[in-house]
Amino acid sequence: MIDREVADSLPRKNGELVFEAPWEGRAFGMAVVTHAKGVYQWGDFRDRLVERVSEGSTHYYRDWLNALEAVLLARGAIEPDELEARVKEYKELRRDPVF
Amino acid sequence: MSEHTHHHHDDHDHDHDHGHHPEPPSDVEARALALESLLREKGLISGEEIDRIVSAYEHDIGPMIGARVVARAWTDADYRQRLLADPAAAVAELHPSGPSATNLAVVANTPEVHNLVVCTLCSCYPWAVLGLPPSWYKSPPYRSRAVSEPREVLKEFGLELPSSVRVNVWDSSSDLRYMVLPERPAGTEGWSEEELVALVTRDSMIGVARPQAPAGARS
Amino acid sequence: MNGVHDMGGMHGFGPVHVEPNEPAFHAPWEGRVLALQARTRGRWYHLDEFRNAIERMPAARYLDASYYERWLTALETLLVEKGVVTREELATGRAATPPPQPSPRPPDDRPPLRPRFRTGDRVVTRNAHPQGHTRMPRYVRGRHGVVRTINGPFLLPDTNAHRHSRDWEPVYAVEFSARELWGRDDDDAMCVDLWECYLEAEL
Repeated sequence: MIDREVADSLPRKNGELVFEAPWEGRAFGMAVVTHAKGVYQWGDFRDRLVERVSEGSTHYYRDWLNALEAVLLARGAIEPDELEARVKEYKELRRDPVF
Repeated sequence: MSEHTHHHHDDHDHDHDHGHHPEPPSDVEARALALESLLREKGLISGEEIDRIVSAYEHDIGPMIGARVVARAWTDADYRQRLLADPAAAVAELHPSGPSATNLAVVANTPEVHNLVVCTLCSCYPWAVLGLPPSWYKSPPYRSRAVSEPREVLKEFGLELPSSVRVNVWDSSSDLRYMVLPERPAGTEGWSEEELVALVTRDSMIGVARPQAPAGARS
Repeated sequence: MNGVHDMGGMHGFGPVHVEPNEPAFHAPWEGRVLALQARTRGRWYHLDEFRNAIERMPAARYLDASYYERWLTALETLLVEKGVVTREELATGRAATPPPQPSPRPPDDRPPLRPRFRTGDRVVTRNAHPQGHTRMPRYVRGRHGVVRTINGPFLLPDTNAHRHSRDWEPVYAVEFSARELWGRDDDDAMCVDLWECYLEAEL
């Protein structure tokens, strides 16, 4: 599913995948699942990820999430204004972070 | 081992009359929440699917494969025998969809013998069960000294072996890829396989460390 | 070849440095090199050729290069030698010529294992110093050991790396004492995987 190149770039501790916070795992899972469902081509995500990471990344999964947003927006799976509106709802605690 | 927790704040009290002021999520966390909630609403993904993927990658890639093999060998004497006789087949038993472990060789630690794996000529490593090798494994200091002064190298990793234990170093110069089967730590009688898996570190399967001791791992 | 890559027993590299929580790659280009190797190996070159290409790096360059720099150098060397890219194309970054067809898949010619030695046999390694590729490290040449395990057959890298011939041979894990290899006065042992033609029976 994930190509070796990206799999090898994931942050690890003693060889195991590590998520510093639960949302990082969710971002990881979202990318894999939406790709598995054919929402986007892996290369499009990977290229955006590499772009961001090579700019001197300090937070891998933030770059991962940004790359995922970018590819999903590019594919029309989500709209920019609905995403921003939803982000605001969570930031302003108007939406329960529990699913 | 990391735990999987869903997006919830245990201290988030919805009853505001108690005067509890929850912390808003960070910017990036809010973005992740927003994205997931939208994708779920649109029917593109489900929460369970994400759970499964996160779990699979955390548990099935890299040294987790080796750790499961070791834990099974510790609890099942027949499996241990099969593992030592035909490692590739035994690994495939536990992980049929994983990368092929052809040419895997397993060397078992005993109270008398401690095994250590190296590739002096390049960096050959049992990636099918351990994932990618760490940089130190591929470095000149390790490649040059693991064969000639293994005890000094182990000391640098914090492992001091008594002289009653022989060190056996395996130089992976052919197509074979070596993995160490460490000894089961004392004080783990009656432990389940899942609990034991948590003690098996990648470094213990290379041979520069022992598995974790029970006292630290049990929570 | 007796190259600097043959590091077993060398001195002067210092302590083993462990980077805590190190990432798989220290920069994205390393991951791209890994991917490039994965996608080209088996098509225009094979693993023995790849290792030999790394070993052919000038010694000082080998030691100065990082792990993935060595891979990248080997890839450049091999892909130019195989005519997949030209030096000019590498320099300009622009493709100018079509690549050759990938090599045909190797035949499925692996024979059954017919070992000459048995476990427990005492053997001595040949004091051979080939200029080309070999997988017998210098530190075990001309040394006495005991056969521990019998494996393979595997293709002999010495001939396969240069595409001279495909020679399937048994491979033995031969155990050498620390005393025999290093003059150390302890019971530790080193096992090295050796192709059958590297070995002679101890008389």
